[in-house]
Amino acid sequence: MTAFFDILIGGVFHAAVLFLVAAGLQLVFGVQKIVNLACGSFYALGAYFGVSAVKWALGAGVPIPLFLPVLLASGVLVGLIGPAIEALLRTVYHRDEAFQLLLTFALVLMFQDVLRFFWGANPHELGNVSMEYGKVAIGAVQVPTYNVLVIAASIVIALGLGAFLQRTRFGRILRATAENREMSQALGVNVNWMYTVVFTLGTILGTVSGALVVPTAAASLDMPVELVVEAFAVVVIGGLGSMRGALAGALIVGLLRALAIRYYAELEMLAIYLVVIAVLIARPAGLLGKPIE
Amino acid sequence: MNKGRRKALKALGGAGAVLAAQPYLSFPAIAQSQPLRIGIISPRAGIAGTIGECGLRGTQFAVERINAAGGIAGRRIELIVEEETNPKDSIERLRKLVLQDKVDCVQGIVSSGVSLAMGPVAEEMKALTIFWDGTTQDGVKETMANPRYIFRSTDNECEAVMGSLLAIKHWKGKFKKIAGINPDYSYGRNNFAAFQALLKKFGVEHEIVADQWPKVGTLDLTSHVAALKAAKPDLVFSSLLFADLPIFMKTAHGAGLMEGGCKFVFPAAGFQHTALKKAFTPEGMIFGHNTLYFDHPKASALQKQFVQDYEAKFKDYPHWEADRAYFAMKVYQAGVEAAQKAKNAWPSQEDIINAMEGVKVESLGGPGHMRKDHIAEQTFYQGITTHKNRFDFPTLGEIDTMYSEQLQKPPGADFWKWIETAQIKL
Repeated sequence: MTAFFDILIGGVFHAAVLFLVAAGLQLVFGVQKIVNLACGSFYALGAYFGVSAVKWALGAGVPIPLFLPVLLASGVLVGLIGPAIEALLRTVYHRDEAFQLLLTFALVLMFQDVLRFFWGANPHELGNVSMEYGKVAIGAVQVPTYNVLVIAASIVIALGLGAFLQRTRFGRILRATAENREMSQALGVNVNWMYTVVFTLGTILGTVSGALVVPTAAASLDMPVELVVEAFAVVVIGGLGSMRGALAGALIVGLLRALAIRYYAELEMLAIYLVVIAVLIARPAGLLGKPIE
Repeated sequence: MNKGRRKALKALGGAGAVLAAQPYLSFPAIAQSQPLRIGIISPRAGIAGTIGECGLRGTQFAVERINAAGGIAGRRIELIVEEETNPKDSIERLRKLVLQDKVDCVQGIVSSGVSLAMGPVAEEMKALTIFWDGTTQDGVKETMANPRYIFRSTDNECEAVMGSLLAIKHWKGKFKKIAGINPDYSYGRNNFAAFQALLKKFGVEHEIVADQWPKVGTLDLTSHVAALKAAKPDLVFSSLLFADLPIFMKTAHGAGLMEGGCKFVFPAAGFQHTALKKAFTPEGMIFGHNTLYFDHPKASALQKQFVQDYEAKFKDYPHWEADRAYFAMKVYQAGVEAAQKAKNAWPSQEDIINAMEGVKVESLGGPGHMRKDHIAEQTFYQGITTHKNRFDFPTLGEIDTMYSEQLQKPPGADFWKWIETAQIKL
């Protein structure tokens, strides 16, 4: 039973990380219909910036347990590059999807060099700060408290985004814009402003996620590509543009991966992509996406 | 065709052949007054970026010293550095270095994937090339059989062989259930296979209860650690060596894998030694520093100087890739100088290659030599970790030293057959 819980928690933790990466991707696609490959780069940027911010803060005498607020603040701060990137993407909104993919992929490559320029080639990590909050016992299973916090943060972000989109006036306008951009514009919605806000929010989701997860991992130049590939499996399974789909997809991918690793490690990737193929054949829009007409 | 025309065409053809071969030929009289150009191909980004960077620093240290002493046989060294990426692009950079920059020697390469692809090309181009690393057994004997222009490092499996021998020496009879977590490519697969082959050779009864193969660069190892923990191993063998390694250690520590007396054998951990903090890296594990242990109390004056300079300049401590790079440069220097002395004139590339075969050098980590079959022999260091030091990461409490002649196959032998038949002492 202990082994089962260990595997379950491992799977849920990975799902939480994937959801955090996929959430920004889904939000931006849902409203702006842009498949933003650079979402992984925002995640990496948040991770690198988070490491530097925490090291700076600890060096300045901030007590170690306060590293979490520092990480969150750094993630929000660096996420404010969103409007500048959105201004660049605006040039391809009306072009073929291939241009959008090319431009966002170019951003991935450019960000890799930007990260290398500022932080160098070596991976950066935060040593043992994630253990500062100790461990919690869930039954006979020991879990680092910080990992539980990351899982909790994913749930809070999922619920918060849901409430924001469903319950607030801005969220309703946002959904209306996603449904029909021209009609929203005709009704007086400043769509350009809306796009800037949504993209910045998507960027902040990515950067905060990267900052939040980096104490348990490391910031490396390869992480954007590494994560975006899995994030795409998540959105294909869950449904492109659906926040609930992202949550469901992340859980399926995370748990499937954990089970495969435990029982037949060679099937780790195969198991995930078999599901992706099955979903693409049986329900091309994804489990919770809107049916393709 | 009349005789005159045939003669003219022949002459033209000969001139063409000379022009075509020009990049590969050396012109001693002109060359002697110019710097020696050495091309370096090493990764500076990505998962192996930290490895390449450290190697490059080892090269720069060697070049600074050699140039300060008047160069190699009187010629200063000029470095031309290119990035090691995927095999195809790295080969293009090799061509650029040889054909365009007209380098006298190429050094570098960390990845076996690149070295295996580059080997035949370097041979075909007759480009003198010294590999720092990237010599995992699978494929080496096929793609680099009896090389003439390539010189390569010790077998990549040396560290696994040494780690396995130490595990048997220290812990035989104290473990039975074994788990492995190794990178999912030939290096990781070979290392774990070598460990099992050596256990069998020494009659160590064992059972593999888990084998995990995360791909290089995996940033979340929570599920892998959960799977290892579920298998309740007595010993974990891992040749993780890039950024994945500190992540694994942190995750394993957080999940409690280090509790309960489980033993750890990490033959390649030295690549990440400064990132493996005491807070999550236990004492008492077998830890490989390969050909450079930076804190060796009996280190040579050369190593002490290098470590001191490295610390002052980069606020860090070097690992073995710096030694590999330094060794490559010193082997080349020794070859050129020996050939120049024998000829009493600037030697040809063929003379240099002949002189490099069997040459002995003092590298940063200790003595080494280049075998006649173009495979390096060097001094290896591994041992048991301790927290009793001035650093925030573990060092070696007990240090074991082995010369690679005890750790790699002799010339012409097959690695796996050698393990079965070799007279290996613990």
